[in-house]
Amino acid sequence: MIAREVAIIGVGMHPWGKFSQKTFVDLGVEAIAKALADANIEWKKIETICSGIYIWGGNAGHLSGQYLASVFGETGIPIVNVYNACATGASALRLAYLSIASGQVDTALAVGVDMSPEGFLTAKSDNPRQDRDVLRWRMVGMPNPTYWALECRKRMQRYGTTEEDLARVKVLLSQYGAQNPNARYKKVYTLEEVLTSKMVCDPLRLYEICATSDGAAALILCAANKARQFTSKPITIGATTVGSAIYGDPTIRISAISAPSKAGAPLLSESYSSSQQAYKLSGIGPEDIDLLELPDNSSWHYLQYLETCGFCGDGEAERMVRDGETQIGGRIAVCPSGGFSSFGEAIGAQAVWQVAEVVMQLRGQCGTRQVERAKVGMAQTYGLMGNSGTTILKV
Amino acid sequence: MEENRKEGRKVSALPDLFTWSEDGVHLLSARCGSCGTFFFPMYHEQHRPGCSRQGIEKVLLSKEGKLSSYTIQYYMPPPPFKTDRDITPYVIGLVEFSERIQIVGIVVGCTFNQLKTGMAMETTTFTLYRDEGGQDIVTWAFQPVKT
Repeated sequence: MIAREVAIIGVGMHPWGKFSQKTFVDLGVEAIAKALADANIEWKKIETICSGIYIWGGNAGHLSGQYLASVFGETGIPIVNVYNACATGASALRLAYLSIASGQVDTALAVGVDMSPEGFLTAKSDNPRQDRDVLRWRMVGMPNPTYWALECRKRMQRYGTTEEDLARVKVLLSQYGAQNPNARYKKVYTLEEVLTSKMVCDPLRLYEICATSDGAAALILCAANKARQFTSKPITIGATTVGSAIYGDPTIRISAISAPSKAGAPLLSESYSSSQQAYKLSGIGPEDIDLLELPDNSSWHYLQYLETCGFCGDGEAERMVRDGETQIGGRIAVCPSGGFSSFGEAIGAQAVWQVAEVVMQLRGQCGTRQVERAKVGMAQTYGLMGNSGTTILKV
Repeated sequence: MEENRKEGRKVSALPDLFTWSEDGVHLLSARCGSCGTFFFPMYHEQHRPGCSRQGIEKVLLSKEGKLSSYTIQYYMPPPPFKTDRDITPYVIGLVEFSERIQIVGIVVGCTFNQLKTGMAMETTTFTLYRDEGGQDIVTWAFQPVKT
């Protein structure tokens, strides 16, 4: 049982892009300052900070919360830095939420910042005995998208997914990204442009795989019964959860070189786990949700996550997209932000950003890409090596 | 991709992953005597929840399996992947073994048009580079079973 309700009262972000002249602290400070202003709350009233670890930032990145706090002024509050790959921001948010729900504090800041290295993300250690990452790079030469391509081809074999189905995802998302001032990519693509883009790892093409970006996002949380001191539009957290993988999951997960061949658990079981937990805790199901920010790392992810999170049955996602059910104005608006397709991955920041996007939709602040009458929204992450987060928000 | 260089002395790029003899190339796995799970690599254990983790034995996987998926990669990966030539485009396959485990590996010995999911594959080796001492540094790989 949750001791008390928690609301989000402020969101802020630094736009996504590449900012080689800036530091991760620059990006994080901008996101936090905007979130504080949005919540109309003073820095001194923040009672805890849960910060995503920025893995490429050395000592500073591992202590990102302390570095960011010192800019605004150290106040002695608990600062905890967390890492959970793509679910880093979701893990920071869950911790901030639990800190308030438990009654220990009344306000919290959840923040995530990332500046991606140039080119491929690669191994961070050289010990194959303890780090599977070393094996997949040295022995098989497997960049992350090749894992998605292997699952994507299985899906194409199983359900008859076509190249057009994969390309259609990018076409749709590019229309929303073009309308989002914080997106990195704002060009609208045609089906033909996507279908003739460079093949990266067959069957996935360049425009069907997300880029790696720099970005930062921050959320201010507050006990729901005190939220109206700060804002007239608090957004209530229905549930915010973290999931891990289940034994028998046949997904060939990034960094692994093997997986069970006979499924003893759902594909992407970590994401199945986090979403099922969120449905149970919030009492809200997929049928109640008006908009969904899912982790569209590739077109395959977009299709697969609709099933993994229970928005359609197996093999039905392609039809949903073809019939316009995932568009703004359709049955459920999927990634009305433009998604990772328009933003790019910023690992430690993206889950916080997804939640910020859902908050802005539920407040009705999204202009031309606003989902009309949106009352309930969900943000879903993916995660390297079996970790994931789900957040359900309501007006 | 075809392997058309003369073979020197072969050394695996990393130890304890596969073995070769006149009988062919076998991946080195381990099987848990309690939960029955096969591991690859053998030193990364992944048991069924509640398993007592007793009776782990090293085993050689079957030489043959079937191709459950594949991708053609068009860009060279960054270090620590090391080859002495540009091998792009190259194929990465996912091969299912009767031991209820699927394993990734570079695919050799066929054209892209010959690739078909479900096809019978056998384990082989692939030379990444030749070191200063003239040894071929190899990894495991898969190729279609010749019929």
